[in-house]
Amino acid sequence: MTTSKALRTRPRRIHQTFWEKMEPYVFLAPALIIFGLFLYYPFIRTIYLSLFLTDKYGMAKVFWGIGNYTSIFNDPSFWRSLTVTFEFVVMVAVGGLVVGLCTSLLTATKYPGVTFCSASYAMPVAIASAAASMAFRMILHPTNGLLNILLGTQIGWTGDQRFALPVIAFLTVWLTSGINFIFISAGLRGIPPELYESASIDGAGYWRKFFHVTLPGLSPTLFFQVIINIIQAFQSFSQVKILTEGGPGDSTNLIVYAIYRDAFFNYRFGTAAARSVILFVIILIITLVQFSMEKRSVNY
Amino acid sequence: MKKLLSFVLCACLLLTLFLPAALAEDPVKIIFWHSMGGVNGEAINKMVADFNEANAGKIEVEVQFQGDYDEAINKLKSASMGNMGADVVQIYDIGTRFMIDSGWIIPMQELIDADNYDISQIEPNIAAYYSVDGQLYSMPFNSSTPIMYINRDAFIEAGLDPDNPPKNFDEIIAACEKLVKKDENGNITRYGFGMGNYGWFFEQWVGKMGLDYVDQGNGRDAPATKVVFDENGAALQILSTWDKLIKEGYITYLNRGNDDAKSAFITGNIAMVLESTAALKSLLVNVDNRFEIGTAYFPSINADDAGGVSIGGGSLWAINNGDDAKRAASWEFIKFMISPEQQAYWNAQTGYFPITVATHELDAFKANIEEYPQFMTAIDQLHDTKPEYTGSLLSVFPEARAKVEEITERVIMGELTPEEAVTQLATQVNEAITIYNLTNN
Repeated sequence: MTTSKALRTRPRRIHQTFWEKMEPYVFLAPALIIFGLFLYYPFIRTIYLSLFLTDKYGMAKVFWGIGNYTSIFNDPSFWRSLTVTFEFVVMVAVGGLVVGLCTSLLTATKYPGVTFCSASYAMPVAIASAAASMAFRMILHPTNGLLNILLGTQIGWTGDQRFALPVIAFLTVWLTSGINFIFISAGLRGIPPELYESASIDGAGYWRKFFHVTLPGLSPTLFFQVIINIIQAFQSFSQVKILTEGGPGDSTNLIVYAIYRDAFFNYRFGTAAARSVILFVIILIITLVQFSMEKRSVNY
Repeated sequence: MKKLLSFVLCACLLLTLFLPAALAEDPVKIIFWHSMGGVNGEAINKMVADFNEANAGKIEVEVQFQGDYDEAINKLKSASMGNMGADVVQIYDIGTRFMIDSGWIIPMQELIDADNYDISQIEPNIAAYYSVDGQLYSMPFNSSTPIMYINRDAFIEAGLDPDNPPKNFDEIIAACEKLVKKDENGNITRYGFGMGNYGWFFEQWVGKMGLDYVDQGNGRDAPATKVVFDENGAALQILSTWDKLIKEGYITYLNRGNDDAKSAFITGNIAMVLESTAALKSLLVNVDNRFEIGTAYFPSINADDAGGVSIGGGSLWAINNGDDAKRAASWEFIKFMISPEQQAYWNAQTGYFPITVATHELDAFKANIEEYPQFMTAIDQLHDTKPEYTGSLLSVFPEARAKVEEITERVIMGELTPEEAVTQLATQVNEAITIYNLTNN
């Protein structure tokens, strides 16, 4: 009788009804449609466009093969813009982390006025980058800007290649310091107080506790913030557009701004698409490196 | 019978209620895109409101600010993939070639001819800029030339004659030596001269030398195929002048565009500045009698340059949306905007000069000139220029202008010599022209 039972149950499993087969896909559909429409289709379209020269309507007109890529790689301004982008990303990622860590450590203990300090450190979250850039434009004016008046100097902060990139990086660090502060503060509160207690009993001082309890305890948060900072640094746009337009020369021509210029100013979507594909590859590599590092240095 | 009568009466009553609404057609709605911010934008809103009031029930213009000139033309390019979104668009001078080639427009000449409108009123120099092959493609509206603004008080203080301001860069340098002021630490508190790094000035200096920017009759006989400012030496002279002014410390670098140079002039940090005539009103408002503003012709690079300035600013383009009612409404609106009365108001509110000669006869115009004679400089400068210096047409002008600004910076930074810069600039702009011609013909 056991065999007949098996015979009865098995066909039911093989011949599922149509609805049973479709059910999981129906649940997946909303996500797939949205990803397909807004992620995969534009992605494929970008790769397609990067192989063409486009006309003034932005339509693919002349097949150019890898011509867009070779002309980008032969263009010294692309390599300069790549160098500048990496310098900028390092400045913003490291700067944002240091500022976020310092501000959250400063507000970790209770003292009068700590709420006010916390609110001030978190405030940049609420500031639009374009508005901040406009304000900084006035502060950084070469002859009558606030900064030059305070320092008694006459420096063209945004017009001198020695200062332009650090200035943009400083502004970006300040803009992202709010979100860094909030996440790292939350991370600090998540470290069990027993660890500090037992470290104190063992006779550890402030710095010993900082390096052996705080930092390892924060490592998941810090790892997350590094990724977020790097992504934000790559996406920085309005600071550059408003303060320098990529200048002087190429010294603040971040790759995202270069893509914008090609696509929406010069109306050459082909080159812009090719630049986007290159940027995609770069970010892919960075992310892979980050995740391989995560396994080694992050303690959960 | 009584019932029937009351029914008929009721019907009549209802009919009279609905009749006016039924007879009066919906007003034709057209959309107007412009790029005027600040004081100038307020003037636009006032003019459009006046037009809507005068044409209540017939035409209704919706005014939409589209950001600066670059953003407006780029939005139009994006919009062209669907319905255009606008019926009348204000486009800057350097978008002219692009718009003519675009195929989205109704040439202004068609509207003028259909209405037998008399355009002899329009300043010949201005009409010449927007005419190609004898056809007027767009209606001049806000026309400007660059001029030099001077701080008259600083001139008097330095022992210079404010009524005889410098005409070329040799004279500017001589004046700078007298105008420069330092504090006890040796910091310069006032430079004699300053200017924004603005590609428009480059084009104007080429014109001032009487030379061409591109081939094919400066892009007017046919779409240009390459730049000629490298071969005829114009670019080298301009970039060398920049180089000299910065290296010898006569000026400090005031960034791209004009905003920073303008604010340095307003605070008295520079005694002379190059700016569009359209900035006159806002300079008068912002300086607010702290010092007296003088105006002078745009300076030439060399003393013997014999060309002239060409106009900049913008013009109104009629967009073809295939709707005859909108087309007629657009034409009415354009006629209103260039009428002598509106142009007199526009001139006094902004500093753009009136594009019709008839405006000069109006009392409103005369009263404004009497109070602020500075408004006259730009008009005189234009009249002193022969119409043959109409300026160049080039489809990739926005890109070329940005390249000029970038290359100028690299000369100032000492990264390139002026000679190397000219070669690179010509190569890059020529490449852009080649690609444009390859994909759009």
